[in-house]
Amino acid sequence: MALLREDDRQHLINEFSVLTNPVKLVVFTQKLECQYCAETRMIAEEVAALSDKISLQVYDFEAHAEIAEQYGIDKIPATVIMRGGNDPKDYGIRLFGIPSGYEFSTLIEDIMMVSRGDSGLSAETKAWVAALKKPVHMQVFITPTCPYCPRAVILAHQLAMESDLIRSDMVEAIEFPHLANKYHVHGVPRTVINERVHIEGAAPERMLLGKLKEAVA
Amino acid sequence: MELSLGLGLSKLGLEAENDYDVIIIGGGPAGASAAIYTARSELKTLVIDKGLTAGALGITAKISNYPGVPGPISGAELVEIMRQQAESFGAMFITDKVVGVDIHSTPKMVMAGTGTFTAKAIILATGSMGRTSVVPGEEVLLGRGVSYCATCDGAFFRDQTVAVIGNNDEALEEALFLTKYAAKIYLVVPTPELKARDFLVHEVTTHEKIEVLLGTRLKEIVGTELVEGVRVQPRGGAEALLPVSGAFVYLQGGKPITDYLMEQLQTTPEGCLVVDSEMQTAVPGVFAVGDLLCTHIKQAVIAAADGVIAAIAADKFIHGRKKLQTDWR
Ligand SMILES: Cc1cc2nc3c(=O)[nH]c(=O)nc-3n(C[C@H](O)[C@H](O)[C@H](O)COP(=O)(O)OP(=O)(O)OC[C@H]3O[C@@H](n4cnc5c(N)ncnc54)[C@H](O)[C@@H]3O)c2cc1C
Repeated sequence: MALLREDDRQHLINEFSVLTNPVKLVVFTQKLECQYCAETRMIAEEVAALSDKISLQVYDFEAHAEIAEQYGIDKIPATVIMRGGNDPKDYGIRLFGIPSGYEFSTLIEDIMMVSRGDSGLSAETKAWVAALKKPVHMQVFITPTCPYCPRAVILAHQLAMESDLIRSDMVEAIEFPHLANKYHVHGVPRTVINERVHIEGAAPERMLLGKLKEAVA
Repeated sequence: MELSLGLGLSKLGLEAENDYDVIIIGGGPAGASAAIYTARSELKTLVIDKGLTAGALGITAKISNYPGVPGPISGAELVEIMRQQAESFGAMFITDKVVGVDIHSTPKMVMAGTGTFTAKAIILATGSMGRTSVVPGEEVLLGRGVSYCATCDGAFFRDQTVAVIGNNDEALEEALFLTKYAAKIYLVVPTPELKARDFLVHEVTTHEKIEVLLGTRLKEIVGTELVEGVRVQPRGGAEALLPVSGAFVYLQGGKPITDYLMEQLQTTPEGCLVVDSEMQTAVPGVFAVGDLLCTHIKQAVIAAADGVIAAIAADKFIHGRKKLQTDWR
């Protein structure tokens, strides 16, 4: 049974007609699939089938442990959205947990952005990011029923796209309760930067930039 | 677009068309009147409003002084008539809460729960039903049990006892959403009765998981690391501590609602927006009308008139006209 509805498929085919650079989705799952692993793989398969610019590679988390490590994948389901084709590039854009509900739009926006090859961030943010010296790890906790969460995830992914030093994870809080516990997540979106600094809510670009400065200070 | 996989969503819908000439934020008398005029000027118009009873006119029980509508009719009915009139000329309305805007980008961007929309001009018409102050404990416990979004955070409160504080449609809808997860919900209502649509009132008052506490004010949210309870006071009664692990707050007040602007426009010390004689703010193509302005007397007809001026000025802005053009057709 298809997950995507026919009219949504048509809409996406249309959206994807403007894709320029090839995009690669790398999905990590397991033979005895975890909760939502099967659905995550199916979503990626159905989306990848809508454009010849989108390719998909599925790995088994255990059988391909080395590859998982190479991509920094420590939990599943996981989706990496990267540039594909002859000149592949992993920007550090990650989705941990199923991209369903409102987060489905994040997956689509990520694909569009990676293909476009431009984060769309302001000149001020780009300049700051370009001068970044220290690594930044952003974890954006979400639930699929949170309408404000995609904005927080996408902003984190835009930043990841701008710098090889930034890695940004979407973390679906319900699927990873131990992480939700560890980082005291009782409300979403909650963004944790370098384990230290956190932000509640979908912060606008300039406010997030302030927090990033704090996190690397 | 969203994809539902039995995760509490039933809607798998395509985003509405998202590029417009004019986006109006708030569909009270100011916003709905603006929409009548922009739609009649053949500007592609979207009105985003978070709920009929979230506005000042929407909660007005009876109005008898709106010229041409002798009434008495309820404020909500009057708003509905205005919205239908705007729709008849082609304006689109969606129910959604605007959480952010970018007024400096081209086109201008409006972020709402269901998606991001763009427009050449924006008319701000969110009224002045914003909260004036927070209660003790609220800010420090935000994200630690204090929430403003049950659909986002409900899942963290499975089998727990929570409080929802508010009296309008939004509060009742969120309380009903929480029944999916929570074991028990106190609905703390500051007014002697609920101010929401009848079917919501009926559902909430008959739901076995919901206990409605009418005429009860929220005094404090208590907890050290996490929310442990809410201190409430019934009218004429003694303070009580309700042991809850979540507090979902949907209270209103009398302050202009400008939070979604995230300080991109300056406000007066009272929190009001400032405009010129054509209702334009300091940013070209961004207009503000109705109760968002302090300079105007708070009356529905005045808010409506503001909306009309802004609509005509937006038309002038979009078409690069030299003068405002009247709609005499
Ligand atoms: C109890 C009461 C009685 C009144 N009686 C009368 C009367 O008899 N006669 C009279 O002329 N005037 C009366 N008024 C005043 C009149 O109601 C207001 O002046 C008028 O409603 C202001 O219109 P507005 O469109 O600016 O704001 P509102 O009517 O407050 O509408 C604002 C709209 O914006 C929406 N909104 C807010 N924030 C967001 C957001 N973030 N995203 C999306 N939408 C949002 C709300 O849902 C709301 O629909 C009364 C007011 C009150 C409170």
